[in-house]
Amino acid sequence: MKCTYACNSAEHEVSRRQFLAGSASAALGAMGFSGMVTPAAAKQLEKSQKRVLLIWLAGGVSQLETWDPKPGTPTGGPFQAIPTSVPGVHISELLPHTAKQMHRMALIRGINTRENNHAKGAIIMHTGRPEDPRTNYPHLGSAMAKLLGPEDSPLPGYIHVTPRGAAGFNKKDAGFLGPKYASITLADGKPPENLLRPKELSVQSDLKRNQLREKLNRRFGQRRRTADTEIYTQSYEQALQLMARHRIFDNTHESPKYLDLYGRHDFGQHCLLARRMLEAGVTFVKVTHSNYDTHHENFNFHIEQMGEFDKTFATLLDDLADRGMLDSTLVIVMSEFGRTPRINQRFGRDHWGTAWSIALAGCGIKGGAVAGKTNAHGTAVVDRQVNGGHLFHTYFRALGLNSKRNYYINQQPIPMADPKAEAIEEILA
Amino acid sequence: MTMRLWFLPCMLLVSVSTLRAQSLHERIDQMIESTPGFGNIAAPMSSDAEFLRRVYLDLTGSIPPFEVAQQFLADKSPNKRQTLIDRLLRSPEYARRMQQFFDVMLMERRPTKRVPEADFQEYLRQSFADNKPWDQLVREILSADGDDPKLRPASRFMLDRDAEPNQLTRDISRLFLGMNLHCAQCHDHPVVRSYKQEDYYGIYAFLSRTFIFTDKKRKNLAVLAEKAEGDVTFVSVFDPTKTQKTTMPRMPGLPPIKVPNFKKGEEYQVKPAKGVRPVPKFSWRAQLAKEITSPENVRFRRNIANRLWQMMMGRGLVDPVDFDHPDNPPSHPDLLALLADEFASHRYDIRWFVRELALTRTYQRSSMLSAGATEVPPDRFAVANLKPLSPEQLAQSMMEATGSTANIRRALGSKLTEQALYARLKPAIAQFVRTFGAQPGEPEGDDFEVTIDQTLFITNGPLIRSWLKPSGENLLARLEKVEDAKQIAAILFLSIFTRQPSDEETKDVADYLRGRTDRTQALQEIAWALLASNEFRFNH
Repeated sequence: MKCTYACNSAEHEVSRRQFLAGSASAALGAMGFSGMVTPAAAKQLEKSQKRVLLIWLAGGVSQLETWDPKPGTPTGGPFQAIPTSVPGVHISELLPHTAKQMHRMALIRGINTRENNHAKGAIIMHTGRPEDPRTNYPHLGSAMAKLLGPEDSPLPGYIHVTPRGAAGFNKKDAGFLGPKYASITLADGKPPENLLRPKELSVQSDLKRNQLREKLNRRFGQRRRTADTEIYTQSYEQALQLMARHRIFDNTHESPKYLDLYGRHDFGQHCLLARRMLEAGVTFVKVTHSNYDTHHENFNFHIEQMGEFDKTFATLLDDLADRGMLDSTLVIVMSEFGRTPRINQRFGRDHWGTAWSIALAGCGIKGGAVAGKTNAHGTAVVDRQVNGGHLFHTYFRALGLNSKRNYYINQQPIPMADPKAEAIEEILA
Repeated sequence: MTMRLWFLPCMLLVSVSTLRAQSLHERIDQMIESTPGFGNIAAPMSSDAEFLRRVYLDLTGSIPPFEVAQQFLADKSPNKRQTLIDRLLRSPEYARRMQQFFDVMLMERRPTKRVPEADFQEYLRQSFADNKPWDQLVREILSADGDDPKLRPASRFMLDRDAEPNQLTRDISRLFLGMNLHCAQCHDHPVVRSYKQEDYYGIYAFLSRTFIFTDKKRKNLAVLAEKAEGDVTFVSVFDPTKTQKTTMPRMPGLPPIKVPNFKKGEEYQVKPAKGVRPVPKFSWRAQLAKEITSPENVRFRRNIANRLWQMMMGRGLVDPVDFDHPDNPPSHPDLLALLADEFASHRYDIRWFVRELALTRTYQRSSMLSAGATEVPPDRFAVANLKPLSPEQLAQSMMEATGSTANIRRALGSKLTEQALYARLKPAIAQFVRTFGAQPGEPEGDDFEVTIDQTLFITNGPLIRSWLKPSGENLLARLEKVEDAKQIAAILFLSIFTRQPSDEETKDVADYLRGRTDRTQALQEIAWALLASNEFRFNH
């Protein structure tokens, strides 16, 4: 599962990024408006470009019904633990397909974020730190769009597929990195807003009107300062290129075999869409599976939700591996927190940031590794306790990035990951 | 010796009085144009068309209507620019434009929390319509506690920032003093030597005793209240000895305010009790408005002079506008000092000040580099700087250009007022603000950035497409009736670019239309190309 990067040095990253940026812009120039065909060389680069898939189990999945079962205890609930493809590692029986993927995965069972509020927990998990009113830290997706994304790619670097909610462009997610790295939400898996050319406008007419626009711009640009106008002109080139690639947002171009394998429910189709977009070169895709906030009927609900998750997730890992993408794609399965070991009177579990788990797979991850341990009833972490900061360092390192570097915002150094934490070395390949 | 000493002040008197006789705009031009080599790089004066578009955008927030452009370009009177400036400054659209500019500056697109956004905007609009002096406006905004219904809208500045003293300290120092003290909260600014942690806490102290009181007896109305106790202490995170420092309320670089001493138990006019809003005998917060606008606080007038200069000239004399400090001096230090002092001595008369800026040659220069001048630094103000349109300017200009606004004017008929028209334009403006505006709490327009959703909005979005459908007397409806390509080009360019097309451009239009049977479609494509062009996106 090891990534195929040469080393972790900053110089290496720079030269790699310049290489990508250079070739991407050359490709852009050569393609002009036609922009339909990706040259083979660029295709090759896209394969090795590192990417991230975040599967967000919104509301807080139960660690006890997934990665850290405690069968036969007062807190364990009704489900058993089953063996996995890695001897000695057991997970919930609700995940039989996922169990067969364990040799590709790592589990972190010692998370303590000390946060039981949905919004605040989500901030910790997305930015690697507790909320800080003084600094708008970027989401992992925006950070990766900046650090891993090819400089001149027409594709958005951070795309979020959600079953409900409004489509949109979320500048807030990018924090101090700026709107260039904002996320785009695809509501219900539909393409970005305004991506598709209006029906009454032919490709030919669109081309012609854009040629006229360019001609006007050239004339206006003569003897004028062009720093800002160039940014504006380029945005139209990017828009046209993205429009030309609208098929990456459309699962109907997939064979029925994949539609079935991934599952013909929202989550399955959204994961398939995520794979399409990652394959096309999008750096970071987040897929939301909703909603795990099981204050009532935790167990029935997890049977249902895990039933959707399990097969789709296993299919996804197989598919990424088959396509040679798993080595370069870090897969993260997480929530804003876990759920209480205590089972409440409504057979529910409540919010729990004290001792819970996440799962990782793919790029830079040591298959079968487990870090951290909770006590017999799952009420506390007893070994290798970590927080959002450790997780951030771990993601960076898994992707071949030095997590101890700084961003420079107004000449001010801001550490990319919480300097008080470190990577969880034992699960890194 | 005696003689010379006598002579010197006399000379000074003479020169000062000659300067006094000159209007501010003449002095501005002298100072800008007297920099070395200015003549070699200066652009010529703008054409009438260039000036018309620019001044309309800056003073009314939109490009001019087609008929206005026609009339102005045909007008032969030598004073027509000044006449136009004066007319626009008296128009209701000027108050609207200033409302939009200052609302974005002061509230930074924050959503309504406790005080409706629309109330604050109306308060601002009325203030600019009345030409309320800047210092008075700021005093109202910083002293409104939300209790007095008349000034309730002004209290949005504090109430919708949750009256959080750190947030307010950061924003007040940035917006009213031109000091970005963000980094000075935890330590002296690491890069800006003159921004001290004690400056931060001096401002913070005015607000440190303030909190939001929810009045149960008045339908949970949120108002500001203040305690009579609590001192401000701070420690630098870089200080190994962790020495605790303390400060009383004060403006950066000025002495602390004088605070009367009360005996213990006698500090309150209204004592704190359950469900009662306490009122101290001496309010620290109430001193803020007075101290910040005091004549000793030079930063206050420098900041606003610089920000209005930026609004008109596309770049502050101090740039960025919130980093006024000795290591980042103004491009023209004497000019900024002059502007600040003159603005203050004219009782912070905003309309007068903006008029003086608009009358300068500096403002009225072309944005085209003169032949031979290749690199002209933007801080020389020798060539007009390009200014990206604000979301509001872009929306209003697109609706004006496409004749969508003209249709609404016609529909309103005798009920046409600026306010009635604006109410009809507002939903579309809101869409542009959502797409092109900055994040809540972030300054807007510091750096020109374009995001993909914005360009897709213009390229494929239904709103702009709807404006390009022939309807009533809008642009497309008018163009549809015209056969002659030359005439079509003339209408298109004057409506959208506020200028006549060149021969080459007329030919482009004719070529585009030639052989097209779907003529309306072709006209829409041309109009779109103009709307999506750089020439439209910027105030040039």
